[in-house]
Amino acid sequence: MKRRLWTSLIGVVLIVLITLGFNIATDNTPILGLDLQGGVSVILAPTEPASTDELTVIRDQIRSELERQGIAEPDVRVQGDTIVVDLPGVRDQQEALSAVDVSGVVELRPVLNPGSCQPVDATPAGPVPGSPTVDTGSTPTQDGVPGEDTEPQGLRSPQAPPESTPVDTTVPADTTPTDTTPPVVLDTPLPTQTVTPGAEVLPTRDGAAECVGPAQGTGEVFERGSAEPTLDASQGWGVAVDLRGGEGRDTWNSLASQCFSRAATCPSQRLAIVLDSVVQSAPTVQEPNFQDSVSITGTFTQGEAEELASVLNRGAFPVEVEAQEARTVSPSAGSDSLQAAIIAGLVGLGLVLTFLVAYYRWLALVIVGGITVWAGMVFSMASFVSGWTNYALSLAGVTGIIVAIGVTVDSYVVFFERIKDELRNGRTIKNAAPRSFKMTWRTIWSADVVSLIAAGILFSLSVGSVRGFALYLGLTTICDLLVCYFFTRPAVLLLARTKLMAKRETVLGMKVATA
Amino acid sequence: MTLDTSVSSTGIGRLFRGQTAIDFYGKRKVGLIVAIIAVAVTVGSLFVQGLNLGLDFEGGDAWDIPASETFGVDEATDVLNANDVSTSGARIQLRSSETSDVVTVQVEVLPREQADAVTADFAEAAGVGVEDISFSFTSSTWGAEITEKAARALVIFLLVVAVFISLRFEWRMALAAITAMANDVIVAVGVYSVFQFEVTPATVIAFLTILGYSLYDTIVVFDRVKENEGRYAGTKTPYEDIVNVSMNQVMVRSLITSFSSILPVVSILMLGSGLLGAVALREFGLALLVGMISGVYSSIFIATPLLAFLKSKTTRTSRRSRLLGDDLRAAVMGAGVSGRIPEDTPQSGAPGSPDDGSEREPVPAGAPAGATASVQADRLLTHPPRPRKKKRR
Repeated sequence: MKRRLWTSLIGVVLIVLITLGFNIATDNTPILGLDLQGGVSVILAPTEPASTDELTVIRDQIRSELERQGIAEPDVRVQGDTIVVDLPGVRDQQEALSAVDVSGVVELRPVLNPGSCQPVDATPAGPVPGSPTVDTGSTPTQDGVPGEDTEPQGLRSPQAPPESTPVDTTVPADTTPTDTTPPVVLDTPLPTQTVTPGAEVLPTRDGAAECVGPAQGTGEVFERGSAEPTLDASQGWGVAVDLRGGEGRDTWNSLASQCFSRAATCPSQRLAIVLDSVVQSAPTVQEPNFQDSVSITGTFTQGEAEELASVLNRGAFPVEVEAQEARTVSPSAGSDSLQAAIIAGLVGLGLVLTFLVAYYRWLALVIVGGITVWAGMVFSMASFVSGWTNYALSLAGVTGIIVAIGVTVDSYVVFFERIKDELRNGRTIKNAAPRSFKMTWRTIWSADVVSLIAAGILFSLSVGSVRGFALYLGLTTICDLLVCYFFTRPAVLLLARTKLMAKRETVLGMKVATA
Repeated sequence: MTLDTSVSSTGIGRLFRGQTAIDFYGKRKVGLIVAIIAVAVTVGSLFVQGLNLGLDFEGGDAWDIPASETFGVDEATDVLNANDVSTSGARIQLRSSETSDVVTVQVEVLPREQADAVTADFAEAAGVGVEDISFSFTSSTWGAEITEKAARALVIFLLVVAVFISLRFEWRMALAAITAMANDVIVAVGVYSVFQFEVTPATVIAFLTILGYSLYDTIVVFDRVKENEGRYAGTKTPYEDIVNVSMNQVMVRSLITSFSSILPVVSILMLGSGLLGAVALREFGLALLVGMISGVYSSIFIATPLLAFLKSKTTRTSRRSRLLGDDLRAAVMGAGVSGRIPEDTPQSGAPGSPDDGSEREPVPAGAPAGATASVQADRLLTHPPRPRKKKRR
């Protein structure tokens, strides 16, 4: 028992010292927020005049895209007719520029030909095996790997026949507002042998190429932000996205029916989703007509599905914006704020410890030690976590940690008051300490679990600074629990066993019965 | 060695020896009225003047002024101060690139004339023409989405916490704890509304901090109530007694903890924002201070009486009125750990104790009536008999 207590005590102190030393040696400190440290600011301007509403939509989309990329707590606002993005924890202007490069418009372009735009034989009409498919979600789809869409046909998996034989179709192309191709009336599903005007070869995400026709629609056909990765037992990961009613659906369906019937504008039956001139995915269209939603399936990994969903959501940018310039920004709260907060916090902590030592006498040295270990632990964990998650410590966060001192001190107060209760009833300190800890641990555990629930839920469900708050709340609470169990418990229990303690007439500032 | 069991003659002495006998339950109406007044003031103020939402929520005016050696962040602050523009919610930053440096000043929306005056002053201070200063409206950074998600997360959190407290304790405690928490957050919001402080994202964080602190504090108190509930399980003790005894027992802890929590906040407030002049800390610190005081207050005067009220509807009717005065004190002291009645030593001089030891019911003890005689002996044993374990857990 005694040995275990020593192990725990020395172990926790060692671990904290080592991690702290490691952090200091590698200069690994928590990232500080915009208000404390500044960051890099990027100014984005729309390429064509945009209304305030459109800019506001873009602002929200840029923010969620940045958060998705793991850049936490960016400050995005519309200023005049530009969008200003302030990024915390980014030192490099180039890095900032590439981070906010999220503004492209998603285009929907029919795939004319895999590989190059050279006219080829009409035979390769039909879904390319291994490509993702688009359907309303009910049709079973072929296996396929996204990114393999450009491989020569018939290389792999058996070719699934189209669901119905292509029929003659007339596609009135002028129903699509963004349509740039002349209306074509075809009575053959075979692809044309000539290069379609507006066709170009675009790279795919994995470096292959696709020959795609002119854009016939933009990401605006989808409901804003509705794309989500889905997991289906039989089909694996996919992406479901809702169509915007009216115009959006019409545009999409016109494209879908062209591709489904393998009209000359879309001989491959595949529709490429293009962002920034890169083909993100080129699924085979399985149905001519879609009602409300579109489901894209294939053998996506979870990451790929999320990626595609985010691309589709991003496509809802009403206008394209371009980064104009990047500037370094100074801390908004004034450079002395952090210093003031730290000084004030330390003075406050000093006062608290003085008060506790005066009140609990020298058993309060455990508190001093415990708070030191706690502070070291919080610092180390904050450094690690902010390195992983890019959650910056803002002024609010610093103050939150200062408030957490109170909650941490409470574990000791509850513990010591309980010991005093026991002593009052005539127990010896040796006897009282373990009993008291048992009761205290129950109390602290219950109360801290509530904080952890708060931290967990707020972190997983909210965004922005609320999320940052949750992170630091969770961190300080976990440290509190760890220190309470692995430091305070052995320290007090071991102290209580010493002969010195047993002989003392006063413990915790009150007279006790000595054995 | 002698064990000092005498009741202290001074209030402070009694407090720190855990010998208080405050009838918290009896004062519940006072506590409730204070809470109702606070909530009413908040609601009234919210209705009349609302909240002063800051830059990040409502947007504001923004200037881009070319920076130079003679014009920087400090000079811009001086200009704002000279024009009576509050700088506590303002954001003044130096933005630099290879080619040029600008000072960006963002403040809450100003009336047209004032904004023009500020622009002119900026131009003068920076030594540039008015046309070199770009003045524009800046939007909020806190999108509706953030509020929406935070609110949703909060609702889910409250539900989960309610379930947790219900499982760990009971649903009445969950209801009481959440009511107390709501009161604290409302009071903190009230401070912002009444004094028209600017609400910033940091303020929202302060409100959340208060929310967490309040729940924490209430649960520590309820844990003691629950524990005592177990101790008194065998007796027909009215719930008000259990509440009163528990409150008196945790009072020292509550006071010390609150003091320890509030001290750093006061330090931030006085030292950080006062002496060191970090304005950003001031209103934030104030919100925290008010919220934390309210958090402690509500645990004692709202959560617990509410709990007793909820419980009194369900538990069997007690056969006597609740303990007061020295009877309560005896219960507080005795039930501190083992639930035994402490032997009252009349010679130790507690006022009013003579009538105490003579005919007190063995109510707080949870010990059979016959046990009273052996109490004296009990107390001197190093290993007193175990308290009754019924329903303890």
